[in-house]
Amino acid sequence: MALEGGADGSADGGSYTSRFAAVGALVPERRVSSDELMGSTKHRTHIELERLTGIHERHVVGEGEDSYTLALGAARDALAHWDGAAEDLDVLIVTSISRHVGGLRLQLEPTLSVSLKEALGARRAMSFDLTNACAGMLTGVFILNDLIRQGRIRRGMVVSGEYISQLGINAARQVRTVMSKQLASLTLGDAGAAAILERAPEGAPGIEVTGFTTLSEHSRLCLAFPAKIGRGESMYTDARAIHKISIEALPPLLREALDQAGLEFDEIDYLIPHQTSARAIKKGLKDVSASLGVAPKHVVVTVDEFGNTASTTHFVALRKYLSDGRFAKDDRVLLLALASGIEVGVVIFKVDQLVGRYGHDH
Amino acid sequence: MGTIIEASATATAHSRPFAPGARKLADAAARLCLERADRTVDELDLLINAGVYHDKLLQEPALASLIQEDIGANPDPDRPLGAGHGTFSFDISNGACGLLTGIHLVDGMLASGTVELGIVVASDIDPEPGVSEGFGFPSVGGAVLLSADDSRAGFTAFQFATFPEYAELFGSYVDWHQDARRGLTHHGRNILTVEIAESYAAQALECAESTARELAGAQALDLGQVDLVVANASVPGFADGLARRLGVSAERVASPADGLATAHTAAPAVALESVQLASSRTVLFVSAGAGITVAAALYRA
Repeated sequence: MALEGGADGSADGGSYTSRFAAVGALVPERRVSSDELMGSTKHRTHIELERLTGIHERHVVGEGEDSYTLALGAARDALAHWDGAAEDLDVLIVTSISRHVGGLRLQLEPTLSVSLKEALGARRAMSFDLTNACAGMLTGVFILNDLIRQGRIRRGMVVSGEYISQLGINAARQVRTVMSKQLASLTLGDAGAAAILERAPEGAPGIEVTGFTTLSEHSRLCLAFPAKIGRGESMYTDARAIHKISIEALPPLLREALDQAGLEFDEIDYLIPHQTSARAIKKGLKDVSASLGVAPKHVVVTVDEFGNTASTTHFVALRKYLSDGRFAKDDRVLLLALASGIEVGVVIFKVDQLVGRYGHDH
Repeated sequence: MGTIIEASATATAHSRPFAPGARKLADAAARLCLERADRTVDELDLLINAGVYHDKLLQEPALASLIQEDIGANPDPDRPLGAGHGTFSFDISNGACGLLTGIHLVDGMLASGTVELGIVVASDIDPEPGVSEGFGFPSVGGAVLLSADDSRAGFTAFQFATFPEYAELFGSYVDWHQDARRGLTHHGRNILTVEIAESYAAQALECAESTARELAGAQALDLGQVDLVVANASVPGFADGLARRLGVSAERVASPADGLATAHTAAPAVALESVQLASSRTVLFVSAGAGITVAAALYRA
């Protein structure tokens, strides 16, 4: 893996510690249950989606909402829970896979980062878009963490808005059986999420390690592109193969990241994996924990409520747990990216001061 | 310690429909780049793709992961996962400034020691010739290979700026076009449209000049010392025009080969093909693109 951080929180070239200063999310009001979605399929599929995936419902955009508005709302939510202001940001990274602006129009140029930077008033920020499938936001964290640790920047934001529910609508017109490669498209929901990273005060806890690698020999197991049957995109996924390969690859990669931070797996209080299906998460983590000999104290599952919201899942879950007052200040969290590519990413951090920013102080 | 360009390379496609797509152009440029630097592909720690117009306009996974697979950058079957090796790849998008943006990111990770060798690739093709509207960029791919060198300065400064008041001058999008002849709801296709206003070229020059002067001012650089300008904005004549505005003589401009004057994301690599980078002491890179976004960098060869 490409690794940043170490046992003392600042090893391997880093002079400073970076930390999550605030996180934000925007989830649309409108909800669609799995039963409603499966009731709209063109063919009689006999697929029990909720039983298979644990997804009861997902939130979907309403009138006037799209990738851009979700990202903007999430960014503003993060800023509202931060001591700083948008004009303090040195870097702004937008990581939406879907870049729908004005309905389902896919905007390629200019990047979403140009208009978000303007709308937020992040005048000084160097800005660009980044895509790395569902690992996009954590890839942005990896980049910001590297720059903050070196002292090249002090603060940055990574933000994403995903308007992807149209993939489910497109899939509902074509899915026939549980073996369909568009089955995963039926699990998707819309959401925006944002995270602000900053240099931590000297001695304060923060991000302990980040690590990423790409298992590119499996890069063609999930492909998405503009649909041929209607607006938006279509996605074709061999979900079983991705799950199997990921679970086989995870133990040594997790071990590598944990070793870098001088940690054991059971020192993780909350593990937040990419949210695909409740059943896949539980089965996968059980296998990985068996392989490593120990397990994290809690595994966070929010897919039942939000569906798979692509690059935003980790921070939608984190924001919910912060709002719900689920964390204690000393809790250690592991964010785990498993995404098309196949991308494997790990971010381990202490919750610390985030706890007090959302109305709960434990 | 500085970030240096070990090698750069390009790959072109002259005829469709049998010409390679964006992915294969990036593959070819990356392979040639590694060959020119006498590096093996397994030495690559980081691969960033900065192209915008892909085959089928692929949105997932990152095209970089497909390129990584194509060129065979890890895994090494003789070394298990978790043993401290591997390649990390992802896509960035910053229009015509993408390649310089990618170089900036690699520069950061080289400086921290997170990676030791990184490559930035970029390529564009018309995804549907004859169907897309307004696409005028040549099919070309480029690659730049970067590493850290204790004895050379390399990239010493970067400057980025956006001018959102000119965002309307350059835009591209994919939208559904209903086929009116069919009269049915779902008959139609998603079509790429690229729109560049006539005033874009002049405005890009003005934005680029101000950003370049800001960089020069911050670095106490006398622009008369610049002995090579590598500049691109996806429109012809941009590099010459910028050099004139900055007071740099025309013979110090890296000129792209015939037919590649409007190269898009790969343009800096295309321009580098026409010069000997090692013989230039002070190189000014300037890219301008949709936004209007400008990226500038100073390279001490």
